[in-house]
Amino acid sequence: MSKSIKIALAGNPNSGKTTLFNALTGSEQYVGNWPGVTVEKKDGILSGHKDVVIQDLPGIYSLSPYSIEEKVSRRFLVEEGPDAILNIVDGTNIERNLYFSTQLAELGLPMVMAVNMMDVVKKNGDKIDFEKIAKALRCEVVGISALKNEGGMEAAEKVVEMAKKAVVEKGPGKLPDVPHVFSGSVEHAIAHIEESIQGKVPLRSIRWYAIKVFERDREIIKKLEIGVGEMKHIEEHIRDCEKELGDDAESIITSQRYDFIKKLMDKSLALNETRKDKATLSDKIDKFVTHRILALPIFILSLCVMWFLAVAEHGPGTVLTDWANDGFLADGWHVPFTTHECRAEGKYKGMEFEDAQGEFAKQDASKSAWEEAYLEKINEGKSDDDKVEEMPEEIDEKVAATIVAKGVFVEDEETGEPIAKEDNEDEPDLWDVDFAAYKEASEWEEPDPSQFGVWVPGLGALITDALDKAGVSDTVKSLVVDGAWGGVATVLGFVPVIFIVFIFLAFLEDCGYMARVAFIMDRLLRRFGLSGKSFIPMLIGKGCGVPAVMAARAIENERARRMTVILATFVPCGAKTVIIAMFAALFFREQWYVAALMDVIGIAIIILGGIALKKTRFFAGEASSFVLELPAYHMPTVSGVWHHTWNRLKGYVLKAGLIIFPACVVLWFVMHFDWSLNLLADEEIEKSILHDLGSWIAWMFEPLGFGSWQGAAASVSAEIAKEQATATLGLVAANMDGATTGSHIQALFASVSDFPKLAALSFMVFNLFVPPCMVAIAVTFREMGSQKWGWFAVGFQLFVGYVLALSVYRIGVLVAGGGFGIWTALAFVLDAFCLWAIFRPGKKVEC
Amino acid sequence: MTLAGMKEGDRARIVRVSGEEAVKRHLGALGFVAGTIVRVVGESYGNMILAVHESRIAVNDATARNVEVADV
Repeated sequence: MSKSIKIALAGNPNSGKTTLFNALTGSEQYVGNWPGVTVEKKDGILSGHKDVVIQDLPGIYSLSPYSIEEKVSRRFLVEEGPDAILNIVDGTNIERNLYFSTQLAELGLPMVMAVNMMDVVKKNGDKIDFEKIAKALRCEVVGISALKNEGGMEAAEKVVEMAKKAVVEKGPGKLPDVPHVFSGSVEHAIAHIEESIQGKVPLRSIRWYAIKVFERDREIIKKLEIGVGEMKHIEEHIRDCEKELGDDAESIITSQRYDFIKKLMDKSLALNETRKDKATLSDKIDKFVTHRILALPIFILSLCVMWFLAVAEHGPGTVLTDWANDGFLADGWHVPFTTHECRAEGKYKGMEFEDAQGEFAKQDASKSAWEEAYLEKINEGKSDDDKVEEMPEEIDEKVAATIVAKGVFVEDEETGEPIAKEDNEDEPDLWDVDFAAYKEASEWEEPDPSQFGVWVPGLGALITDALDKAGVSDTVKSLVVDGAWGGVATVLGFVPVIFIVFIFLAFLEDCGYMARVAFIMDRLLRRFGLSGKSFIPMLIGKGCGVPAVMAARAIENERARRMTVILATFVPCGAKTVIIAMFAALFFREQWYVAALMDVIGIAIIILGGIALKKTRFFAGEASSFVLELPAYHMPTVSGVWHHTWNRLKGYVLKAGLIIFPACVVLWFVMHFDWSLNLLADEEIEKSILHDLGSWIAWMFEPLGFGSWQGAAASVSAEIAKEQATATLGLVAANMDGATTGSHIQALFASVSDFPKLAALSFMVFNLFVPPCMVAIAVTFREMGSQKWGWFAVGFQLFVGYVLALSVYRIGVLVAGGGFGIWTALAFVLDAFCLWAIFRPGKKVEC
Repeated sequence: MTLAGMKEGDRARIVRVSGEEAVKRHLGALGFVAGTIVRVVGESYGNMILAVHESRIAVNDATARNVEVADV
């Protein structure tokens, strides 16, 4: 392949960079902004130019190292060196945007400036003289409107042309013609620095380096390895300038840049004076949205809307989730808004599917009620050993004729669907079932949904069918269906909820409200050592911890950023919601508040953890400043929201494929084989490798109330993906007493503790609040910046989760009358330590 | 006088920005340099939304106190 041309797309945040990037690259974007990509930039192929790569850099204001994003972009531009720069500039705020452009121009690379939002500029009645700007900054300038898809392609083609010409003509060696923007004495000092660093840097960027040395940029000075004597000499020149101008070197550069731009603007920008200082529509909206009293209620309302859409019963999120889990990924589904009449001959012919289900449930209830009564009758007077437990093939007609059982079946209050007797404690309906009715009932078979209406088979069914047709062995079938597909389907089942959360977040971000949220929340979060910008990662954390941890990048204060990374994953994410839902259904039906309580605990950990961390020497000191640009409100575009949502969702779906899939295969393997690699039957799970692995570490969970191999195996496998805890529990509890997976799990907890509810609560709390899944841990390590900090984060999370589970169980047992033991004492000691960490006086450190 | 003393609708000229080095640098990039005119668009518990050039910048009370201004 011939060497491709690399064009860096750089500009301020909110200058329309992403819109332009998407317009230029179309669907050919191939690297997502997702963990594993070392440089956080997006690459895409320029439409119609196979040999041109557009590299989308994070939106930044300057090439000084302020935030991580600025550092990454700067390192990329200076060290990796694109062939040319496409600088996008917001035409409606050109003066501020040019500050960054002057710095880009100093890099000495071919550059085209695309002045965006020209449609708005024209509408406002402003005029911009491109030629004068082009001459002053030594680059090409074109007007575009990215949103209306006007001029972007022309700008890109122009920059490609320049890049190609530059490669042919000069290469990187020639001293380029770059704008000189500073006053005499500063220029003199810079010229001197250029002389000293010649040969150490590419000639084309020498001016940029020289200015950075003048600003005393530590990173650059260290990199250039300027000798002590030489540096002393340079320092003299800088001091002279500082003395002359009465300001520090960096401020001199900043304000002279703005002076230069101001002069340039006086010549080239004609603003429509009638607009000056008028409150814009955005300002008017902000009067409400950031109002001192209304701000919080408005924000809470918007959150409620999101949670209604995503997780409320009968909301779109739940409906879609049910469809995905029970239909699309499982057996199949009926096309909605069509009639579901039975097509096949038989008892159900012409019946609607729901009616058929109801009819079958009733018949089934009659059947089992009668069978129960029959067995009771024939077992009368027999000793326990002689009792018949299953229906015999031959029914004693004489006995049968005497039996009239009470049929029992009720409807679920909400769905109207019939539910079995054992799951319902309310007053049941009763009816008589005699032998004839029993015989009639026995003939009904469960309705096959595929015989009703328009039926679309689900992926699970298709996979099973394909395997049946291929004639593979039962082992392979179990591996594929129960192992690999089961795990992947569990994760994919959350896509609807996460999709809706992501759409909503993308909408809030794109319309400009997210920046206001950060502003509103800053006052509150500052008290816990966090920043207003920490709130956005936590909000995203409700959907998934991985993008949440990554979103913390926008926080420039290092301490607040690290704390946000450590704390953001305590918000129960989409996957943890599965654990909550399952335990709420199995153990806490009467304690409706348990599910909500988990969110409350998550928030409490963030607040208290923030307070405690802030008092350690690692995080001491005030994060005193908050500075954030509030973009003008605008209606998000469908394609913008979609791109945003899809980029995040893609990562989540990839996780299912790249991590859950192999993990589930491994898990299936250790569950179905023993150490000599003999295949085990389902009921032989106690001989499995998993059983032994679980047993070895079960002691760690003993103090928490679920110290069995099953609890250990489930908790460890939850690190693959949190929802795996529920799947593993279902599998390892399969040998327990009970008719359903749910009752197996109830029996499992009853077998490990005298207080099964407390053990279950402890298990749930443990799995929710220990370190997140391994994907999130990997991202945490990366974002914390070093192994040491990574372990600190994970250690902190592990401590919190363990102490919480220990306290819930041991103190719970104590209250429930289970007595005081060594573990109870440990729980009290650790709780006392936590209280001390939270309430001790903090160190006062000024910075 | 600093930004912290200003009320909604007030205009002023920036004289000097002090405070933490990195924050000062960031404010500079956003246009907070000597000579620039700022206007207070909104204020809530000391936190402010400011109009600088054509953009709106939100700052907290501590940051506002670090920006010295003079009457236009």
